[in-house]
Amino acid sequence: MLTLAEMTSDQQAIRDLLAVATLLPLFSSLLVIFIGKKMMGHFAGWFATGVMVASFICSLLALLRWMGTGQTEPIVWLIPWIPVPGTAAGWLYLGLLADSLTVALMVMVTLIATLVHLYSVGYMHGDKRYELFFAYLSLFTFSMLGIVTANGLMQLFVFWELVGLTSYLLIGFWFEKRGPQLACKKAFVMNRVGDAGFLIGFGILFQRLGAAVLLPAVEGGMFERIKTLLEADGHSFTNPPLWLTVAGIGLFFGAIGKSAQFPLHTWLPDAMEGPTPVSSIVHSATMVAAGVYLTARIYPILTPGAHLFVSTIGLITLVMAACMALVMTDIKRVLAYSTLSQLGYMILGLGTGAYAFAVFHLIAHAFFKCCLFQCAGSVIHAAHHQQDMRYYGGLWRKMPLTAACYAVCMLAIAGASIPFTMIGISGFYSKDGIIAGAINYGEALGGWAHLFFWGPTIVAYLTCFYMARSFALTFLGQPRDRHLYDHAHEAPWTMVVPQIVLAAMAVLAAPLFWPGWLNLVVGSEPAIGWMQPAQAIDESHGMHAAHAYLLQGFAWILAIGAGILMYRPGMKYGAKVAAIPGINLLYTWAHNKFYFDALYDILTVNISKAVAVLAGAIDKYIVDGIVNGAGWATRIAGDAIGLFDDKVVDGIVNGAAVAAQSSGQMLRTTQSGRIRLYVLLLFASAAAATLIVITVALH
Amino acid sequence: MYSTLHIGLHHFLIVSILLVAAGVATILTKRNAIGILIGVELILNAAAVNAVAFNRFVWSEPAAAVKLDGQMFAVFIIVLAAAEAAVALAIFLNFYNNFASIDVDKAHELRG
Repeated sequence: MLTLAEMTSDQQAIRDLLAVATLLPLFSSLLVIFIGKKMMGHFAGWFATGVMVASFICSLLALLRWMGTGQTEPIVWLIPWIPVPGTAAGWLYLGLLADSLTVALMVMVTLIATLVHLYSVGYMHGDKRYELFFAYLSLFTFSMLGIVTANGLMQLFVFWELVGLTSYLLIGFWFEKRGPQLACKKAFVMNRVGDAGFLIGFGILFQRLGAAVLLPAVEGGMFERIKTLLEADGHSFTNPPLWLTVAGIGLFFGAIGKSAQFPLHTWLPDAMEGPTPVSSIVHSATMVAAGVYLTARIYPILTPGAHLFVSTIGLITLVMAACMALVMTDIKRVLAYSTLSQLGYMILGLGTGAYAFAVFHLIAHAFFKCCLFQCAGSVIHAAHHQQDMRYYGGLWRKMPLTAACYAVCMLAIAGASIPFTMIGISGFYSKDGIIAGAINYGEALGGWAHLFFWGPTIVAYLTCFYMARSFALTFLGQPRDRHLYDHAHEAPWTMVVPQIVLAAMAVLAAPLFWPGWLNLVVGSEPAIGWMQPAQAIDESHGMHAAHAYLLQGFAWILAIGAGILMYRPGMKYGAKVAAIPGINLLYTWAHNKFYFDALYDILTVNISKAVAVLAGAIDKYIVDGIVNGAGWATRIAGDAIGLFDDKVVDGIVNGAAVAAQSSGQMLRTTQSGRIRLYVLLLFASAAAATLIVITVALH
Repeated sequence: MYSTLHIGLHHFLIVSILLVAAGVATILTKRNAIGILIGVELILNAAAVNAVAFNRFVWSEPAAAVKLDGQMFAVFIIVLAAAEAAVALAIFLNFYNNFASIDVDKAHELRG
């Protein structure tokens, strides 16, 4: 049984603040759903934004209190909910778990959600389901906060599914159009595939641990049980049994679905069909972050085999997505593949042991990617919903603030730093840390595992390049569509302010968070599990090695410079490069998303369609045949019985009736009502009777 | 031993038969209700004649001379006829009130 010390007043305060911060968006969502349309109108957006601000303040206070009082032990709040009979643990708990990971993510999620709400006030202005959008958005935020504060895998899974549902609603928000209909369905189904993996992993743990799997996923909780179980069997995390590896990979499959990792990544670019605020929050703070959060949460129980699996998935995703981002011309798709690639970095970081850096990358990425999407949204808003960058060009003159924010975030995602020093903006720290972790991991495994650091290092160049490409095509050079350019304008302040705040956070995240960050996260990095913090990252060695591979901080200047020079005049150089033999093959592949959609069409969609046709035929000819045959036989029998009834039974009844009627008809002629006839009959019969008596008497 | 003027039982019975026949014929031919009532009186009187005649001829013993059963029957029949005539006339009166006629052929509402 989990033993808990009495909470101190600080811990209680943090717990209460986090609980309030989590529940506030639910409250606003319900209120807007029920009375938004009738009583709030345009105020609904401001109301939801205000509630999110309150939630953010609560989270921030919790973070300050956490850091101020130097908490390291997780705060666990258990409310017995459903009794689980026959076990010592006894209960399925509802409640709240707060450790440094939770506290940090709460601040990030609520801040970004607040800014996205504010942005939506401008972006969704005039939409016919304006209020409903805010209800969904708040519910979406609530589900993500629920995941972050969930105290066990079961509660996490409940909110996990809620995220799936609300993302379905938001991606398909404009469900009148065909594109969003298909996109939300695809996102939902792809996530179900991942969730199946999650349930398998959960089921394995349940089978091994029993009800203890319902305990909070912290040291001292469920993880302690696993450790005890391993030791009892003579295993350890370095020499794990197969079931633990499989369970870890199973749970990670949930993360593959939610964080859109290879091979379930195809839904994320399609999710661009939703309104742009949805893209900005899905791609930063909520949905895709959930998968990374889950991987970070189960990090202690991942075995070496599971780590290798996680790293491989991350590597494949980050390389593949970067290639696709290079060739897309739709601005939102470039950003979507960029998100995939960055998520690959995070997953790779978690796989290779750069835990703190991966989580920091999650937070830093959330800020700059949310900002990039909002900038893209502003551009699309200004460009009459034209999303193809080939029609843009020179827009910085019309939208200087948006262009500046985009540029800042481009530098952040590129990991810009001052050459030969270790000073840079947010993406620099996190990405260098992840590459450093990959270097250590690759060296430890040797052989082909060196790919684990060559991949992200090369992709670091590609990231700079494709971001510079999108920036140059959109904002620099000469306008390529005069009409579009003439009508472009800066977005309203409700959209620009969030962009500026996010860009500022992208720059400031490192100096604000970094010094405290390592204390916050590394200090409470999971102490059990295969990767001990000390062996996970040899910081100074890895960091310097990573820095060396990135040309001592020059990499981003070279790659961004190349991108801007090449794409400032439009697509003409790009088209020439794409025509070079060899590259053109790669170009075609990447442009067709490596044929994953086609592959899934063949492998799953067509097979299920064929099965459906077969099942339909069986239904139509065999099942329907049996049913129809039975029906036919019944009808024939019914006809025969009906005939018998008509002719024989009715015949008897009718015959009796006819006989009665005709005899009655016959007899009624005597009942003429004429008294003289009666008298005649009376005497005639009396006379006849007398005659008969006399005749009989005489003989 | 029979003289031509000797009157026996058969003569009475023949008179009675003639009376019954006349009554029945009256009932069958008359449409007037009063006529039918008269026919009924003829039949009742035939019965009374029978009763008196049988009283005279059936008792052969001398002691039977004081027996008056047949006469008693005749008196009862006369009383009965009077009562019957009273009831019948009341019916006729009602019938007349409803139909403004005493033609029995018009009273056929009980026709089956």
